Amino acid sequence: MSNIRITAFKWVPPFAQGLVRDLRVRWALEEAGLPYTENLLGPGEQNSAAHRAVQPFGQVPVYEEDGLTLFESGSILIHIGEKSEVLLPRDAAKRARAFTWMFAALNSVEPHVQNLTTIDLFFPNEEWAKLRRPAAEKMALGRLNAIAASLEARDYLEGEFTAGDLLMISVLRNLRHTTLVKDIPVLAAYQARGEARPAFARALAAQLAHFERNQPIAA
Amino acid sequence: MPNIRVTAFRWVPPPFQGQVRDLAVRWALEEAGVPYEMKLLAPEDQDTPEYRAWHPFGKVPAYEEDGFQLFESGAIVLHIAEGKSAEGTALLPADRAARARVVAWVIAALNSVDPDIIALGDIDHFAADEAWGKQRRPALAGMVQTRLNAVAAHLAGRDYLVDQFSAADIMMITILRALRHTTLVSDIPDLRSYRDRCEARPAFQRALAAQLDTFARHAPAAKS
Repeated sequence: MSNIRITAFKWVPPFAQGLVRDLRVRWALEEAGLPYTENLLGPGEQNSAAHRAVQPFGQVPVYEEDGLTLFESGSILIHIGEKSEVLLPRDAAKRARAFTWMFAALNSVEPHVQNLTTIDLFFPNEEWAKLRRPAAEKMALGRLNAIAASLEARDYLEGEFTAGDLLMISVLRNLRHTTLVKDIPVLAAYQARGEARPAFARALAAQLAHFERNQPIAA
Repeated sequence: MPNIRVTAFRWVPPPFQGQVRDLAVRWALEEAGVPYEMKLLAPEDQDTPEYRAWHPFGKVPAYEEDGFQLFESGAIVLHIAEGKSAEGTALLPADRAARARVVAWVIAALNSVDPDIIALGDIDHFAADEAWGKQRRPALAGMVQTRLNAVAAHLAGRDYLVDQFSAADIMMITILRALRHTTLVSDIPDLRSYRDRCEARPAFQRALAAQLDTFARHAPAAKS
């Protein structure tokens, strides 16, 4: 058994709890049935030279396994997927289709979702944000409708669950402060289906447990 | 040899010429020495049910190989890099750890660098004169710059993102091209020389020429 260690934050504010990207890696490890240990970063540690050397953007997660160090949750998922058919099918064409949905989540859906969450969570009172929001929401909605159309009557994007669904559902979760997903029944059911997986529940509980334990003392 | 078809636009306005995302796929195919055909789309083709079944967002590129279909430039580039035809081209190294590092940088380009660049492009190309665009731009340009500096810091003392030229450089360079209307890349010497080194590759030059040639052949007649 290899020694896997992931890096996550000790604590984040409530709006980010349950969304930080180590959740994607925890979920994948739980799906693959791989045990892992954790390295938790306290305030200020994310910009240390030591952390920047393994995560060029000073973010989480970092993944370590017997001397191999990786960053970017999407790439870590591909790496874990090589070990588990639950995440990436062995058949070359099916595997490429799973890749396609992973990249769709990361590069065609997440940037638009991020535009909206940046406005709502960080700049709700700025004039530019108020002016920009309607068009940003429309863009995000366009992508959500396309995903819903792709799902048709399937449970998951390619029928069976893959790492593509893991990432897509993780991205959809970032819209939990809006009704955008809820308003599209096919998509809401899809997200709920993913979140009902026991591996997801374990991953989420593991992330939240640290935030609970490391809560800053109220000023 | 597989039968490969890639979709691209027949024509786009000049600011986007040389940076539409089929460029990354053409470049990877040129590096791998794999022949391919292009299927050119007119604007009215993007939203047909047939095309949406191939590419759910109605964008380019979409990719077809002996009956199976893909979309997303990152997924297509990785698929090409994994293919038999790409063996020996080092788009994806054989060494397991180096390979994982290449995938990490492919994803870093698409998920950590590109989103801020897309947002900046949205302002510069579509909202430059709007109040929100003017108010938002300085902070956003600062965010792009922070990410570029992180990439440059990694490149210091290196020619490419991971050892040899790889799929990671194809993704990063094609994404950085969306900043050509700014000096954000050229202002960082390590990044500028990295870009010039990659863009000097014959495979890149062929891919770029092919994309630009398509646009030149389909340029709309000038309005009188």
